[in-house]
Amino acid sequence: MKLEFKDIRKSFDGTEVLHGISFEAQSGQALGLLGRNGAGKTTAIRILMDVFHADSGQILSDGAPFNAKEHRIGYLPEERGLYPKRTVLEQIVFLARIRGMKKADAVESGLRWLERMELSQYKSRKLETLSKGNQQKVQLASTLVHDPEIIVLDEPFSGLDPVNSQVLKDVVKELIADGKLVIFSSHQMGYVEEFCDTIAIINSGEVVLKGGLSEIKRAFGKNRLFISSISDAPDLLEQKAAKIDGITVCGRARGGLILERREDVTVKEIMKAIADSDIDIDKFGSYEPTLTEIFVETAGEDR
Amino acid sequence: MKKFLTVYWYELKEFLQSKGFVITTLIIAILGSATLFILPRVFNVADKAESGFEDFSSDGLKYVLYDPQQLVGTELAKQVSGAEFIDAADETALKDAVSDESADAGFYVKSEREFEVFTLNSSMFGDESSMFSGIMTAAVRARYCSENSLDPTEFSQAVSPDIMYTETTLGKDAASSYWYCYMLVIVVFMLIVLYGQMIATGVASEKSNRAIEVLITSTSPNSLLFGKVLAGATAGVLQSGVIIGSVLASYSINRELWGGMLDMFLAIPPKIVVIFALFGTFGYLFYAFLFGAMGALVSKIEDISRSVSGLMIIIMFVYFFSLFQLFDADGIAIKVLSFLPISSYTTMFARAAMGSVAAWEIVLSFVILLASTVGTGMLGAALYRMGTLRYGNPIKLTHALKTVMKRRD
Repeated sequence: MKLEFKDIRKSFDGTEVLHGISFEAQSGQALGLLGRNGAGKTTAIRILMDVFHADSGQILSDGAPFNAKEHRIGYLPEERGLYPKRTVLEQIVFLARIRGMKKADAVESGLRWLERMELSQYKSRKLETLSKGNQQKVQLASTLVHDPEIIVLDEPFSGLDPVNSQVLKDVVKELIADGKLVIFSSHQMGYVEEFCDTIAIINSGEVVLKGGLSEIKRAFGKNRLFISSISDAPDLLEQKAAKIDGITVCGRARGGLILERREDVTVKEIMKAIADSDIDIDKFGSYEPTLTEIFVETAGEDR
Repeated sequence: MKKFLTVYWYELKEFLQSKGFVITTLIIAILGSATLFILPRVFNVADKAESGFEDFSSDGLKYVLYDPQQLVGTELAKQVSGAEFIDAADETALKDAVSDESADAGFYVKSEREFEVFTLNSSMFGDESSMFSGIMTAAVRARYCSENSLDPTEFSQAVSPDIMYTETTLGKDAASSYWYCYMLVIVVFMLIVLYGQMIATGVASEKSNRAIEVLITSTSPNSLLFGKVLAGATAGVLQSGVIIGSVLASYSINRELWGGMLDMFLAIPPKIVVIFALFGTFGYLFYAFLFGAMGALVSKIEDISRSVSGLMIIIMFVYFFSLFQLFDADGIAIKVLSFLPISSYTTMFARAAMGSVAAWEIVLSFVILLASTVGTGMLGAALYRMGTLRYGNPIKLTHALKTVMKRRD
C-alpha cells in the first residue's frame, strides 16, 4: 500500500497550522515523521485518523481517496492513556472488539501480544498497579492487538527503560518486516535512524525536507569533510583550517570541524594542504551528518 | 450496533463489578425491606395508624396554671385534657416552673375568654394553645349550664351534634396520590443528578487520562456516548428497581401488619408505575446525554461542576416546580410543562396520578420526549466528538454549539 498526503491544509480558529503538506509512506517501510514541538506532526496524524478534517488537500491510498474506517489502523497517540481501574487483558480485548474483532480472536490475540511484550503475568492486574513502562507496553499491545495494516506510533519510546526499549525495537522491526506500513513520529533521532527508510521533516506546518534517509544523508554530506585534532582546541583548529585554500569552515560537530570543499578542489589536494599545515590531525574524512544534525539544520530555526 | 453493544457491556460491567455499587444497592434494599418486615412486628403500628398516632396528646404531661380568678381550676383542666395541672402562686412562679422545666408549659388565665401560654421552646408538633383553648371553652360552657340550670351533656349534644359522613371520590384522590408522587419525583431527580454526574465524570476522566484519543479513533462517537449513557441508565434503573422493588414487595407482604399506613407512599397504581417508568427512563436519558456532552467540554474532573451548572439549574427548577405544582395538578403551568421534554418526565406522571389527563396527551408528550431524547443523543454525540480533543480551559457551551452547527452546514 502507498499512502500519500497531498497538499494538506488545516486551520484552527482562523490560524493555519498546516500549509499544504505532502509526503508519502509505503507498506514494508517506516516513515519517520519529524518536527519540533508544535510543528504540525500530531495534527497531520489526526487528519489521517479522521479525528480532524483537512480544510483542503487529500490523503490517497494506492491512488484512491483514503478512508480511515476502511482500514485497520493501529494508533498509539502521544497523549495516551487507558482505563486505570480496569484489568490489562479486559481493556485490550475491549479495544480489539470496538475495532471489529470477534471476542475469541480478541482474547487470543490479546494474550499473544501480552506474551510478546513480556506482560503475561499482569493480564489480570489493574492497569494503575503497573509501572509506567509496563503501562506503555500495554498501550502498544492494545495498538497492535487487531493486526493493523497501518501503524502510527507517536513517541512510542517515551518512558521506556533500555530493556523495554529493546523489546519495543524488536517489535517495530518485526512489524516492518511483516510488510506493515509504519509511521513513526519521535524526537529520539537514534530510533528514527534505526527504523526509518524515509523521513519527512515538518517545520511550522510545512514539509521542509523529505525523502530516503540515506539519500538525504548523502546530499547533506556532499562536498563536506570532517577534521579533528589531538591537541588543538576547536578555536585554534578553526583558525588553522581557515588558512587552507579550497575549504571553508561551516560548523562544529563531534569535537571537530565540518569543512565545505570548493567544487574545483579535490580531496587529495586538501589532504596534502592539511598535511603541510601544523594541524595535529586526529581524524580526517568525508562527513556524513547524523539525523539530529540534519534535523537541527533543517528545522532549527522558526520560520 | 455491534460496537455500541461492546461499549455498552464494557461500561455496564464497570458498574456491576464495582463493589461500592453492588454493596450500596444491596444494603439499601435489605435495610428498606427489613425495616418494613421488622417494625410492625416489634411495634404495634397498625393500632397507631387507626388512632392517628401523629395527633397531639397531652397524656403524661405536666402543666402549671395561674388562674387568679379561678375561672378554670386544675380539676376541670385535668378532667378535660387528662394532663396533670399544678397551681402557680403568681405569674413569676409560673414562668420559673416553665423555665426550669418542672412543667412542660404554663397557662395564665387573664379573663373568662383570654389566656396566655408559656413554653420553654416552641416545638413543631406541640399544640398546647389548642388544648387549653378547649379547656377554656369547656369552662365557659360549664359555667353557662350552671347559671342556666342546664344539663351539660344535653347542652353539648345540642350545640355540637355528632355528624356522620362518608366520602366517595369518583375521579382521582389527589390526597392519597400526593405522597407517592412526591416520592417518585425525588427518585427520578436523584437518578438524574447522581448518574448524570457519574456519566459526566466518566467522560471527563477519559479525557484527563488521555484514553479518549484511542477510543474515538477506534469507533464512532455515537457508539461511545450512547453505550456509556445507556449503560449508566441501565445501572440506574437496575439499582432503583432492586431498591424500590424490594421495598414494595416487602410492604405488600406486610401491608396488613402496617394497617395500610404507608399506602400513601407505596400503594402505587400499576398504570402510574408504567407511566413513571417510561417518562422517568427517557427523561433520565434526555439529561444523561447532555451530562455526557458537558463532561467532554472539560479537561479536568474538577471543572465538571462548572460545566454542568446550567444543566443543574434547569433540573433543580423542574424539581421544585414539580413538587410545588403537585397541589395544582390540573393547573395551566403544569399542563404546559408536561409537554416540554425538560420537565415532562416528572410533570406528566404527576398529572396522570393526581389530575385529569387524556390518553392522547400522555402519548403526545411521550413522543415529544422520545424524539427530543434521540435529538439530544445526536447533539450530545456531536458535542462529545467536538470536545474530546480540546484540552485546556473548559469550552463554553455556546462556542461548542456554534462549532457543531458550523460543521453540519
